Amino acid sequence: MPVEKSQRLLNLIIGLSSTRHRLTRDQIRDTIEGYEPLPHGASEEEVRKAEASFERMFERDKKELRDLGVPVETVEDPVHGDEIGYRIRPAEAAMPALDLTAAELAVLGIATDYWRGAVLGSDATQAVMKLASSAEHGPRVELPFAALPAVATDAFATLVEAVADRQAVRFEYSSVSSGAGTRTVEPWRVVLRAGVAYVIGFDRDREAPRTFRVQRIGGPVTPVGPAVEEVPEEIPLGALAASADVRTARVALRPESGHALRRRGSAAGVDGGWDLYDVEYAHGDAVVAEVLALAGGARIVAPAELAQSVAKAATAALEVERG
Amino acid sequence: MAEQATDRLVRMLGILTYVERNGDTPFAELAEHFGVSVDQVRKDIDALWVASEPGDSWSPIDFSADDFDADVAALVRNDGVSQVRLSPREAVALVGALSTMGAAGALPEAGTQVLAKLRDALAEPVTVLGDDQVAPEIREALLEAIARYRLAEVEYVDAQDRRTTRTVDPHRLVVIDGHGYLECFCRRAQDYRVLRLDRIASVTVLDGAVEHPPTDTAGFTLTPAFRATVRIARTGRYALEDIPGVEIEDADEDVIATFDVADAAFVAGRLLAVAPHLRSVTPPRLVAELHRQAQSVLDVQR
Repeated sequence: MPVEKSQRLLNLIIGLSSTRHRLTRDQIRDTIEGYEPLPHGASEEEVRKAEASFERMFERDKKELRDLGVPVETVEDPVHGDEIGYRIRPAEAAMPALDLTAAELAVLGIATDYWRGAVLGSDATQAVMKLASSAEHGPRVELPFAALPAVATDAFATLVEAVADRQAVRFEYSSVSSGAGTRTVEPWRVVLRAGVAYVIGFDRDREAPRTFRVQRIGGPVTPVGPAVEEVPEEIPLGALAASADVRTARVALRPESGHALRRRGSAAGVDGGWDLYDVEYAHGDAVVAEVLALAGGARIVAPAELAQSVAKAATAALEVERG
Repeated sequence: MAEQATDRLVRMLGILTYVERNGDTPFAELAEHFGVSVDQVRKDIDALWVASEPGDSWSPIDFSADDFDADVAALVRNDGVSQVRLSPREAVALVGALSTMGAAGALPEAGTQVLAKLRDALAEPVTVLGDDQVAPEIREALLEAIARYRLAEVEYVDAQDRRTTRTVDPHRLVVIDGHGYLECFCRRAQDYRVLRLDRIASVTVLDGAVEHPPTDTAGFTLTPAFRATVRIARTGRYALEDIPGVEIEDADEDVIATFDVADAAFVAGRLLAVAPHLRSVTPPRLVAELHRQAQSVLDVQR
């Protein structure tokens, strides 16, 4: 009866973890239960076939273990020429003991909902299964929290792997400033902000760090050589960074309007039918957009350039023709 | 569909590690903990048992046969086999989701703890930015009302800046598109509503008890009124990217965005902010609303 695949993978983990030095492919095929050793007295043709079938099976198994997070190392040995061997260092492969409570395990269940139906969904489920071995057993914990699925693309998942593997990648990107084109990037870090995914990395063509919004990547993300040499200690967050340069705008608000601005700002008196508020801001565009959206319920008193931006946008809007 | 080999492998390693840490464990408890049948637990333990080292019949994992017959997993020996660590994708999935819930103000206390444990154990796998700045007292008051099944009076400022005071039956906090919301039944609207946490100005827990049960179909229930098409210079693209369900395609130096509109006033307000980059807007009713708002702005801002 053939050995089940999960059993074969378990035997492979045990074999590669317990070897003192390494196991070569031949040793793996001949000694690990689940692979077919070469038949005795087989013809050349049969040997070739058996070898090809073992190669396919082992390559697939090795990839699945690596995808699972098991660090299967390649060990070259100058004494044995170009024959490659493999090993797993048990301390590196093991899940650290986390001692999770039943409530903590329940929260992880909600976290998997966040990716449900998206590309990281099965990864999240598998991660929770791994962590369940570190969790106390208790009655099911119901929490009044939930997460609705986020948008995650294949590109995001591939980039996560590329960052971990220090693998440079190439993709089609539609940029705000320079149009659509092919980018070759050394990915350093994935970033999530309010549910939107970004990747920060070194753009090889522009020879500078760049931030890419994953949603704007079209088509597949493909690996390209050579590997990423260096990842900076401090990842430059670029436009994603919170601006340290905070300024103050004075806005005038109609009574009963601009509640969000009122909550953020501090009262600065009245002017005729208007309430005055001082509001701190890092990005002028954001204040301008907020005042515009109030459609006459607010105006900017100072600084003048923000007031001009508001008037300019409204003037431009009047020029949009009825389609 | 048959179970994936790696799913089973992960569960087998999980059972092994769990028994090693917790001592002798009845199959029934393992079945409940790992969400499978007792029969499957028996098969998994059997498979762990017959796992062997290369070449010989030495098995690194041994269970007590007597206990096995009594449906109890009792480990006699485990020679260094254990659950495997998280893969990069798994780590990003969990830490990313938990951190996003945290930034949205909708992460339970236990979530903060588990996030800290994961971050201790893993190299920080993902950077999560942003903060909805949900005031702790708002969050605490909502959670108290939910836990005690009490009504809450909520002062709310909606996206069009309308301020209302509503009595709600609060149900749970939920993360939608990276932001935190309260799912509730609104007595004023006599319907289920999701209220964005960072727009709630104050919460008072009332004495009255919750009467309307949570719904399974919560989330956004806005019905689109019409479909809009907007052509805009690439520079203004960012303003349209976050509209739920938007489709954006490149067109020379511009992009063309198509999306459903539930509230024309809200969409017009967004378009106003990128008006200098607009090339064309359809249908005419959306343009009319855009013009109306632009004129109101110009009446007060010169």
